[in-house]
Order: sequence, then C-alpha cells, then structure tokens
Amino acid sequence: MNAPVGHYQYDQSDREFLAARIDEFSGQVTRRIDGSLSEDEFKPLRLMNGLYLQLHAYMLRVAIPYGTIDSQQMRMFAHIARRYDRDYGHFTTRQNIQFNWIKLEETPDILRDLAKVDMHAIQTSGNCIRNVTSDEFAGAAADEVVDPRVHAEILRQWSTLHPEFTFLPRKFKIAISGSPNDRVAARFHDIGILARSGADGRPVFRIFVGGGLGRTPIIGQEIFDAVPEERLLATLEAIVRVYNAHGRRDNIYKARIKILVQALGIDAYREAVEAELQQMDLEHYRLTPEMVDAIRARFAVPELSAPDNASQELSARRETNPEFDLWVRSNTHPHRDAGHIIAVVSLKPAGGIPGDATSAQMDRLADLADEYSFGELRITHLQNIVLGHVRQDRLYDLWQALKEVDLASANIGLIGDIVACPGLDYCALANARSIPIAQKLGARFGDATLQAEIGALRINISGCINACGHHHAGHIGLLGVDKRGEEFFQITLGGRAENGASIGTILGPALPEDDTVDAIARLVDCYLGIRQRGETFLDTLDRLGDVPFKEAAYETV
Amino acid sequence: MKRPVRVGAGEKLVLTANRLLDGRIVWRDHDGHWAARVGAAEKLDADAVSDVLEEAQARAQQDGVVGVYEVAVRDVDPPEPVTVRERIRAHGPTVHPEFSVEAGQ
Repeated sequence: MNAPVGHYQYDQSDREFLAARIDEFSGQVTRRIDGSLSEDEFKPLRLMNGLYLQLHAYMLRVAIPYGTIDSQQMRMFAHIARRYDRDYGHFTTRQNIQFNWIKLEETPDILRDLAKVDMHAIQTSGNCIRNVTSDEFAGAAADEVVDPRVHAEILRQWSTLHPEFTFLPRKFKIAISGSPNDRVAARFHDIGILARSGADGRPVFRIFVGGGLGRTPIIGQEIFDAVPEERLLATLEAIVRVYNAHGRRDNIYKARIKILVQALGIDAYREAVEAELQQMDLEHYRLTPEMVDAIRARFAVPELSAPDNASQELSARRETNPEFDLWVRSNTHPHRDAGHIIAVVSLKPAGGIPGDATSAQMDRLADLADEYSFGELRITHLQNIVLGHVRQDRLYDLWQALKEVDLASANIGLIGDIVACPGLDYCALANARSIPIAQKLGARFGDATLQAEIGALRINISGCINACGHHHAGHIGLLGVDKRGEEFFQITLGGRAENGASIGTILGPALPEDDTVDAIARLVDCYLGIRQRGETFLDTLDRLGDVPFKEAAYETV
Repeated sequence: MKRPVRVGAGEKLVLTANRLLDGRIVWRDHDGHWAARVGAAEKLDADAVSDVLEEAQARAQQDGVVGVYEVAVRDVDPPEPVTVRERIRAHGPTVHPEFSVEAGQ
C-alpha cells in the first residue's frame, strides 16, 4: 500500500461505495431533468450530494476531510475549475472548496472525476454530521499530543450514512484538535474536541458541546474533561442521540444543539448523556487501540530528515533578506522536528478575494507540495493553505516560488488575513456583499510592513446572520445587513475563537460600506495611538474597553 | 409563506427564475419565454402579476426553469431591479466584471 501523507488511503470498498452513490445521484439528476422528480423532491437529494442552487448557478461544495488533501487531489480541483467552472475555486471556513458556476447536468461527471482521486461532496450539506474539521498544523505542530486526523477519519467513518444521524434536527459540526491549544475554534462547534495526554500514554479528550455562531452565537461548554480514547465514539454517539431525541424540530432557528444545551443546562445535558451511555452496548462502540492503529496505518508518515545546518541556513537567509524575514515571521509555525517548519500560504493578496484560488495557482500549489512537503496540503478554516513539513533550508526557495504565482503575501494572523464568506455576490441567503469590503480593507492595509506594525488583528466578514465568515469570532467582525434593499455593515469588537473564546460585541449602528472601511481605518489608527508597548489589538481592547474605539469609529458619522 | 413584494411609486414587477439545467438566471419576456437579460423582461402591474406568476410556476418544468418569483423593478427601460440582491442577479457578481451578464458570460 502506498498511502498518502496526511490522509486516509481508500480501499476497494470505499471506492465501490462512492461509485454506487454517484450512480444513485446520477439517476436522480436524470429524473429531475425529465420531470419525474419535482424541485421539492430533488432538493434534499442534491443537498445530500453537496449541490446547492445559488444566486447565479448551481454551487458544488466538495468535502475535504479534516482539511487535508494530496497534490493529486489539488490538481483535480484545478481540473474541475477549468473544465466545469470558471477557472477558480473558493476555499471555505469549513476547510471545503466550493465551485460557483456548476451545471446540474454535468454534476455526475464532476463527482466521477472527484471519485478518481477518492473525493466526494457527501456531508457538505443537509441536517447530518458535516465534514469533520481539524487542526491545520496536525501531525506537524510541536505542541501536539496526537495527530487528530486519525481520530477525525474515525469520526468520518462513524458518521457517514449513520442511520440515526442522517436526519438530525439541524446540521451538526464537529471539530477536533490534537493539541490542548485550540486552533479549530472548538468552542464554536456543536461538538469541539481537544486532545491532551492521558496517564497511560494514550490521549484523552476534552469535549465541548453546544457552541456555535450564526443567529445565536454561544460559546460551547465543557461536558467532559477527559474522555478516554476507547470511550470517544460511545460518548459522541450518546451526545448526538440526546440531541436527536430532544432537539427542536418545530423552529429552524432553535434547532441547533446549542439551543438545547442552553434550555437544559450543561449539567442536565451531561446527566442525559450519562444515562444514555448506561443503556448503550459500550462494547459495540469501544474504540480499541488496535482499531485506532488500523486506521493510523492507512496514513503515511513523512520521513523527516534535514541537514544539521538547516536552521542556520534559514537564519542566514532571513538576515540578508528583510522581505523574506517578514514573511517568515507571519507565515510560519514551529514544527515538531528541529530541521523543519510549517509554512502557511496566504490566499489573501492585497485587494484579492479571500479564499479564492485559480486553477493555475492550484496546480502550482500541488507542484510545490510535491517538491517541498511530501505532496500534502491542508486547507485552513481561515481560508489559507498549509504546507506542513518544509525543510528549513528550503523555505527560501519555496517563498520565491510562491512569489511567482502571487501567493507570498506576508499577512497570516494580521489585518490583511481577512476571512470572508462569498456574500451576496454568490450566496442566495446573504444580505450584503462580503467580498468587496474585504477587498477594500485588504487593499487599504495591504502593505506588509504596516501589517507587521499593526500586529495580530483578525477581521472576519459575514454577509448575513448565518455567520459563515465567523464575524462573531473576529477581533473586528463585520456583519452585512439589509436596510431597505441596501447594504450596511455592523461592527463587532473583541471576538476570538482560540482558548479563552469570546463573542464580539456590537460597537454601534451599522454603516454603509465605504463608511465602514473608513471607520475601521480610524479604529486601527486609534489602537496604534493608545496601545502600550507589546500590546496586541485585543490586549488594548481588554485594557480600555470599546469606548475609545467607538469614539474613533463614529467620530464623523 | 413568501411575503408579497412591495411595489413603490414608479416601480413595476418582473418575473425571474433559474434555468434548471445550469442554474443561470432568466427573466420572463412578453411572450412567456425566458431570457438571459433583465432588459427583455415584461414589466407587470402589481394587480396583474399573480395570474402570470401562477401560470409561469405551473409551466416551470416544461419551460426548464426553477424557483419562479416576482421582483420589483424601476419602471425604466431597461428595467432595473430595486434591491441590491436582484441587481446582482440581473448583472452578475460585482467582483468579477468579466462574468457579468453584459459581458456575455
């Protein structure tokens, strides 16, 4: 077996399942076109296969399990963009990719092409357990207890076509991190899982439940602090069973698990889960070390070796090239291996569309993954791309190659690293456009030196209250609202999704688009003027509250 | 139930839908055909729209369209949708001028 680095190797049964599923959907498409199926009958079927009808065309959302793909899969995305779409794709805040200009009649062909590289669009829509997301630095980060993608794969196999959980009250999102440091927004998921070391050397899992953004943003609460690995599946099964049994189905806005957890209280919810566990056949759900190891064996592990002087070579390059040094400061993360480093490729060029990549960029990223990172790529929930295992002495060459395809913006975690949903330019649910204001802000703060001077500051933009741009979790959040058919933006401050998660608070009345851009600029100027040495934007906000920022933002309004 | 579209002074209604096969936006013209450009849309008075809408919805499968509904437009030539959302539907995404309806994509 020649398993790919970073994700599960399909076998014959996986492929037969996918082929049968595509044949089934192909028949449904045929029946929709000939009128045997009405749109009302067809809609839930196409959604189960990731196909939406958006503003201008059909949109296909392809699942990227735990955000990891290999170079062949990235090249297939490039092929789909070229052959079936308009030469680009959009990477989303759920580590998926969306194609915006899809034809219904071509969808079965696209799914067959995806299946050639073991990919599909299942669990990207509908009221099921959605594609499980994970840490973009999985398997590479120095602070990691366990590679969470193995457990994410186990959750994928557990949840796909789960007979009880195909028609939940509402969609259900799970994120898992193998590090105690939350890089997956665990507290903003229906279930968030963080691993830590257990006494016997196997991992144990902290589990948060009832978090979410959207119309009713709520921070998830810890339901269990140390679930043993062998009880992980049973515990999740029980949590979702309680939700399935008691979650509201009478009101779509109150159907998520967060509403149920709030209604019952976390202690009562925990008691209900424990009662469910007591009457379950726990042996049936026991996740043995052998099972975990069998799944782990389907993942190839990168053979990390680097010259002894790899770090020194990198340091020397940084000393002689300030532009490269700036990029390394913002766009890399420590690797568990001393000779390697994690590189984050920004999909946020100044004035560009956050998360979009052309087919040429996708092809080039695939080549660079092959050349520098064992053919593996990760899609982040912040709409960037990670090459997880880059030799330190080769990082400079990688950076130069990225520059050639306009993918070397030095802005990860900075103000130019804007997260934005597709908004009203594409989305049938949106109230306002997210992309144009992201482009204006990106251009305004595009200078890399200025961004470094401003420091850690994340802007998240959503075009409607469904919050696909995670605006509640942005240090500065922007929510598009519709006022009598025109677009306005509400500003929130102080959101964060990591450990110590919090929901941003509304700063004041919503503003028109251009006024919002100016208000953000004044707000940033205000921060630069009042911050103390070493303070980030959030530090200053925590110290002084939002009054000075409110005065700055609205001073001319 | 969908709320009726508010029609202000100097405004009319037109019918729109997505094409079934490719999802592209279309507008119903005077002959009951579906056209790609809003300029071809038949402008209707508010009191006349319900019968035309009902007929268009009944013929949707036959006509190869899905999701027929009415949109308020300014009564100018060509008609211009009143809301940002419908203007974007009529002309294409604002962030890719090369994909605009007018560009022929």
